[in-house]
Amino acid sequence: MTSAQLQRIMIIEDEPDIQMVAQLALEAVGGFHVTISGSGSEALATAPAFAPDLILLDVMMPDMDGPSTLAALRQTPPTAHIPVIFMTAKVQPHEVQQYKALGAWDVIPKPFDPMSLSSTVQAIWDQQHG
Amino acid sequence: MVNTSVPMSLQERLGTLQRQYAQHLPERLSEIEGTWHAVLATPWNATLCARLQRHMHGLAGSGASFGFTTLSTTARTLELFLGAVIDQATPPTIEQRTQIDALMAAVRQAAAQPDSATQGRAHPLVRPRPLNDQNQRVFVLDPERQTVDDIAEQITYYGYTVHTFHDPAELRHAMEQTAPAAVLLEHSAAHHHGTNVSMLVEELHAASIPLIFLSARSDFAARLAAVRAGGLAYFAKPVSVGSLIDTLDTLTVQRMPEPFRVLVIDDEPTLTEYYVTVLQQAGMTTEVVTDPLHAFGQLEAFHPDLILMDMYMPGCTGLELAAVIRQQVAYVSVPIVFLSAETNPDRQWAAMHLGGDDFLTKPIQPAHLVSAVTSRVQRARTLRALMTRDSLTGLLNHTSTRERLGVEAARARREGVSLVFAMIDIDHFKSVNDTYGHPAGDRVIKSLARLLQQRLRKLDVIGRYGGEEFAVVLQNIDVHDGQRLLDEIRDRFAHIRHAIGTNEVYVTFSCGLASFPTYADATMLTQAADQALYQAKRGGRNQVRVAHS
Repeated sequence: MTSAQLQRIMIIEDEPDIQMVAQLALEAVGGFHVTISGSGSEALATAPAFAPDLILLDVMMPDMDGPSTLAALRQTPPTAHIPVIFMTAKVQPHEVQQYKALGAWDVIPKPFDPMSLSSTVQAIWDQQHG
Repeated sequence: MVNTSVPMSLQERLGTLQRQYAQHLPERLSEIEGTWHAVLATPWNATLCARLQRHMHGLAGSGASFGFTTLSTTARTLELFLGAVIDQATPPTIEQRTQIDALMAAVRQAAAQPDSATQGRAHPLVRPRPLNDQNQRVFVLDPERQTVDDIAEQITYYGYTVHTFHDPAELRHAMEQTAPAAVLLEHSAAHHHGTNVSMLVEELHAASIPLIFLSARSDFAARLAAVRAGGLAYFAKPVSVGSLIDTLDTLTVQRMPEPFRVLVIDDEPTLTEYYVTVLQQAGMTTEVVTDPLHAFGQLEAFHPDLILMDMYMPGCTGLELAAVIRQQVAYVSVPIVFLSAETNPDRQWAAMHLGGDDFLTKPIQPAHLVSAVTSRVQRARTLRALMTRDSLTGLLNHTSTRERLGVEAARARREGVSLVFAMIDIDHFKSVNDTYGHPAGDRVIKSLARLLQQRLRKLDVIGRYGGEEFAVVLQNIDVHDGQRLLDEIRDRFAHIRHAIGTNEVYVTFSCGLASFPTYADATMLTQAADQALYQAKRGGRNQVRVAHS
């Protein structure tokens, strides 16, 4: 029996297309409670109130990219311990290691299959709690 | 947490998102093209180029999520290519520009082509066959009953389990329980059960189950219709059981084909990276040489299936390099494909004359590159198989078997492991041929070949050594286990009933066996095994003898 259950997910992503399909995939297929942030700075403002169990974070965003957003989240006490999974279209094995070294749990490659995104996220969650 | 949607509406909402995405694509593409024209019009602007790259990144990361898989891979290729151009920090060369133009065209084309309905189907109706499945079930659809009963019976004899169905609906139902290794379809079935048969064909295709047509007609129109219906093979009646079995064996043997190995020789790193990306996306293994003078070392180390080579390189041209490669007997059969902006047919001829096999004109569309390489490699592999394999059984021929024995004996010595070499000879084979004819003899030979393939491991070497003589090399096995294994095969073979015409015939073999390290090299192993085989024949045949020094 795992101590924590995955319920609330925050998606930080600048592209409206991806925002919509990811939200639909996680809500309708996975039954999660999802909120969207369009940028790193917006997420820093809203994450403490929403208090997500998990954050899905796009790597390539204008202004504040994924790694900087992660660093900023880690420096703010309310969000410092929220696990983060990167989403990116650039997934070379050494890059995955790089992202994990930054403190991310894992990396989900883009484009993702909307039908299996929830189970991928859940599997990473279970692995970390297993 | 509250899930308000039902599964149906999920599909609908997903469909709506996909339509919205598709609707916005033309707008996005014209913006992208505007950016590209701006890149071309201004002196050289890395920021603009980076914006273009960012557009591609977006398409690459989203396309497949909205049912545009090809768009994702094509945009990803262009994204990488642009990245390499940006990294070089100088304006793109003319060659690079034409390549970017070509990729832009490919992106446009991909944006107009969403995944087809069958590709996008989330759950194939028939489960695909798992790998390493030993399943040898063959389903036969024969609506007219009894027309293929005889054929079905003969297939059974070769180790296949046959289930005959008279109605496509029954067959489809059975397929949901267990997927067959292949389906034989009496061609007239299409007339009796048109719709059901086409659904069946579609399901077989989706599950990668081979479909073979049997027909009373042998004309071109009938064959063409079968090909269009997805048939992988076509047999006109009366069906030659031998060739039907060959086809079944080829289609049902589970082989994970080794990835194609392509050596790319080009001095231009950006284009090289592009070729490598495209080929790797297609599942191929690649190796790159940027200095043609280093090509030889890579040839030996990498053993490519195909060489992709730029025509014009410093130090030595592609033509010269091809000529040098062709002068080495070991590389005579490796296809060489030239890449060049050359459109002059005379120069292309010159390239062919010096040993090139094909000529691709830059810029090259990803799909063209993949298909040109794929067809060349497949043909080269087929040719190589013809050179190294016995045509009747598909086993290694005499020369290749001897070569492999040499290689494996050397390896056993190096690694300090044991090895068994066995020679097998069918008893009184001449009388089978004389009494029942050569086709009957060939079938006996093939059934022994099949038995050896079934009972031995993948890493073991099996060869047809001569007419009725076979040789096997068993790796990492000691003499006792080798003897036990071959004796078990001998026993099984002796119990096989060969149905020849109306006769039932039993055939046996004798076997001589020698092992490393008792016998220290290929020559001694061969002599000792041959001696032991002679002893087995002298001792009354149908037995396995071990050589003792």
